[in-house]
Amino acid sequence: MPDALEAREVEVRFGKQEVLRRFSIHLKPGGKAVLAGPSGCGKSTVLRCFLGFVVPDAGAVCINGTPLTAETVWDLRRHLAYIAQEPDLGTGTTAEALERPFHFRANAGLRGNLERMPELFERFNLPRELLSKDVTALSGGEKQRVALVSAVLLDRDIFLLDEVTSALDKTSRKAVGEYFRKREDATVLCVAHDQEVFSFADQIIELPGRPGAKETA
Amino acid sequence: MNEIIDIGLWQLAAAYLLLAFPFGIMLWYRIPMIGETVTALVRMTVQLIFVGLYLQVIFELNILWLNAAWLVVMVVVADVSVVRSCTLRLRQIGVPLFVALLAGTAVPLLLFTGLILRRPNLLDAQYAIPIGGMILGNCLRADIVGIRTFYESIRTAEKAFLQSLAQGASLHEAIHPYVRKASQAALAPTVATMATIGLVSLPGMMTGVILGGASPAIAIKYQIAIMISIFSGTAITIALGIRLTSRTSFTPYGVLDPTVFRNASKT
Repeated sequence: MPDALEAREVEVRFGKQEVLRRFSIHLKPGGKAVLAGPSGCGKSTVLRCFLGFVVPDAGAVCINGTPLTAETVWDLRRHLAYIAQEPDLGTGTTAEALERPFHFRANAGLRGNLERMPELFERFNLPRELLSKDVTALSGGEKQRVALVSAVLLDRDIFLLDEVTSALDKTSRKAVGEYFRKREDATVLCVAHDQEVFSFADQIIELPGRPGAKETA
Repeated sequence: MNEIIDIGLWQLAAAYLLLAFPFGIMLWYRIPMIGETVTALVRMTVQLIFVGLYLQVIFELNILWLNAAWLVVMVVVADVSVVRSCTLRLRQIGVPLFVALLAGTAVPLLLFTGLILRRPNLLDAQYAIPIGGMILGNCLRADIVGIRTFYESIRTAEKAFLQSLAQGASLHEAIHPYVRKASQAALAPTVATMATIGLVSLPGMMTGVILGGASPAIAIKYQIAIMISIFSGTAITIALGIRLTSRTSFTPYGVLDPTVFRNASKT
């Protein structure tokens, strides 16, 4: 069975600045890994490479055994759920933000998953009243959990999580950790300073800090 | 109706006396734009003298290819002007925007001269150049607003845009909210003008037709036709402008290429 996530000897430079140098990772389906390291060492860049938002200068990135290219990226993104550290959920109400991805052709058949919204709100300690609230008015922690609900509703098998618990209280952090611990089928690659939440991870990949390196958000 | 009265050179010079008012106000309030105003006035005068001389020749010759070439030159100038105003890179979006401006001008113009005026020569200088110029001028304004709104709003909301891609959106689906916002911004001024036309000010074409000696009844028919042509031209140019420039300003992975902005650092 091919790796769910694979990066081989990936190198990324932003101008003259080297952000990733010969970075490799192999994550089997259902595997869980935490990316650790000092700020600016390229952790978020690794996640963005898997999404095709950053194209490596050298090396290869594969998802479920398929090399990520300009042609394959559109299909491969259908396997990925990405949650940014400070998610931008667009405009409108929370309910509209959660429904929006189901208007995309790639997710048209998943619309029925919206029925799971109440259960997921409860699981991640979100009050139902938030659904009618303007999504831009949510707190950082609420946005992170709503983004998480949105990602789960899309039924993806690979989760790329960038500091998803940074704005959460202890109870919510625990709820998030519990959820991914129980999701044995899901492959998770996460950036987390608070590694306790993902203590069940199979791998902790330490990225070396690079003097003067600057990470893009 | 009477023929239009020519303005003698001395009489035209008298028009410049009116400048005493704005310059007086600028001096009184020490508004720091006297130099800029003088430059603009000189440019206006020189540009119009040259355009007048050139158009005189074009109108006298009235050759199809020469009229078409003049319209193309106007589109090129508009194209460069839009790209510069939007602080985008000409190399990346100049050609697609040119096509959008040309289509936005040519389609309503040819329908105007062919279907409405029923001219045997669709590019008859007397009609094609002023009508084409009016349509193009409005396409230019619409593109400046629309193209700038489109690219700036994606740049500002980059996270939300990338989130859509990550959620499985195609490029077409991911840019859709920004296309809608940009199109609305570009079309709104023409819609507002149509709603108040004739009430707030007498529109340019109507004024020109009346000054040319035609009756107000004829003038309003021209004005209605030109307003509809302008509106359809702006809609065509903005829709095509966004669609065609998108092909060269996004990476094959769907990410907005930062080098499309002139003020972007290359990363």
